[in-house]
Amino acid sequence: MLSDDAPGASATHGGLRVLRVSELVAALRDAVESAVGRVWVVGEVSNLRRAASGHCYFTLKDDSAQLRAVMFRGDASRLRFDLEDGLEALMFGEVSLYVARGELQMVIRDVEPRGVGALRLAFEQLRARLEAEGLFDPANKRPLPAYPRAVGIVTSLAGAALHDVLEVSGALWPSLPLLIAGARVQGEGADLEILEAMQGLAGRPEIDVILLVRGGGSIEDLWQFNSEMLARAISRCPVPVVAGVGHETDVTIADLVADARAPTPSAAAALVVPDQRALSERLVRDQRRLGVAIDAQLARARVRVAARAEALRHLAPAARLAAWRARLARSGDRLRGLLEAQLADARTRLAIAAGQLDSLSPLAVLARGYAIARRLDDGRIVRRASDVAEGDALALRLAEGSLEVRVTAPRPR
Amino acid sequence: MANADKPAAEEPEALSFEDALERLEAIVDRLEHGDLALEAALATFEEGVGLSRRLGEQLGGAERRVEVLLRDGAGLTTRPLDLEPE
Repeated sequence: MLSDDAPGASATHGGLRVLRVSELVAALRDAVESAVGRVWVVGEVSNLRRAASGHCYFTLKDDSAQLRAVMFRGDASRLRFDLEDGLEALMFGEVSLYVARGELQMVIRDVEPRGVGALRLAFEQLRARLEAEGLFDPANKRPLPAYPRAVGIVTSLAGAALHDVLEVSGALWPSLPLLIAGARVQGEGADLEILEAMQGLAGRPEIDVILLVRGGGSIEDLWQFNSEMLARAISRCPVPVVAGVGHETDVTIADLVADARAPTPSAAAALVVPDQRALSERLVRDQRRLGVAIDAQLARARVRVAARAEALRHLAPAARLAAWRARLARSGDRLRGLLEAQLADARTRLAIAAGQLDSLSPLAVLARGYAIARRLDDGRIVRRASDVAEGDALALRLAEGSLEVRVTAPRPR
Repeated sequence: MANADKPAAEEPEALSFEDALERLEAIVDRLEHGDLALEAALATFEEGVGLSRRLGEQLGGAERRVEVLLRDGAGLTTRPLDLEPE
């Protein structure tokens, strides 16, 4: 029997205080919170359920015990990776008691995956997801243009990657138009800058291919190239994208989704820039064949005209022969005159085109007796006397070989 | 795709470098085969000379053409990149 059953008042029974359920549970909660409180715990995530609210509910377990756990949306969204069943992790949070249900639970605030780092785990999760969607499918990769009209480059304007790309493209085809769109290539928000740079280039009609390049770095440095937003932008880009991010061993999501992947920025440039000299040689060869072929055809035509004239002479009655012969001679002359005029014109144009090709070559300029002077200290080309001072060392590039000379008397004017 | 039997595309300027080079080589092959009528051969030859001149121009020289794409208000603009390192 309760000695006093009035609500709100303390009661005793057999000398012990009688508690309401809410009082008991509150006392248990206080005991748990003060005895354990905030703690790191290591365990495995299982029975993960992501509620519509964004909160994650799961069971934290090891071989012989388990505990309910919740990670609220705000904390969960700060993780680089997604919680998933089977994840072994070190978790930080506070143990409490959910009063309404009288259940023990741990409120998780932070999760550090064990074995692999958080970034590596996030990378693997995104890679698996995009792969399942077919974003890396070789069938979806577009072929690179054999001879791009212009090449777009997305990279940092201050980086070594840009320098490497310019050097390689300058060696292969100096006059190939290049359009650079600068973007930060590391740090929060760089993925958006890269995306905007890429879209800016893709909007230019002359751009046939885009290089996305960056020098090597740690996984943190390259992290922006593992952005899902950037990956989707690359797969939607209207022109093919070639990625050259980091060194050979660095693989990013951008590399996987790009239409072609090069191990370095230099290799990316070599993949898209054709060899101008090989093309020039091919063109000169084609021009020569063109001339030889038309000469042969004209020679055959002359032989046929002569043969017909001969045949006519035998067939025609003597009286008509003279008239035939006169007509034949006239039309033969006209035809020959016409052909030769056309041919001479075409030959002149061909010679001019070939001459233009030749005169544009720097080697041809050197062969005419010019020399290229470079400062020995920084390799810059000397264009005016004021670029050098007395005593400066220069390297002179000649048609054959080079000279090292010293300036004795600069005369600026 | 480049077939020297057919007349040139109405707009030869619109041909890509690759298509123009292929067409030039198809023309050379066709002329070397030697089975075109003389008039057709001359017209084909003319086209070949025109293509080779244009390809030569496109190959360009040693002058570099490097530009930077910049934001300009709501639109975009370009300026040449200074290639001489400071």
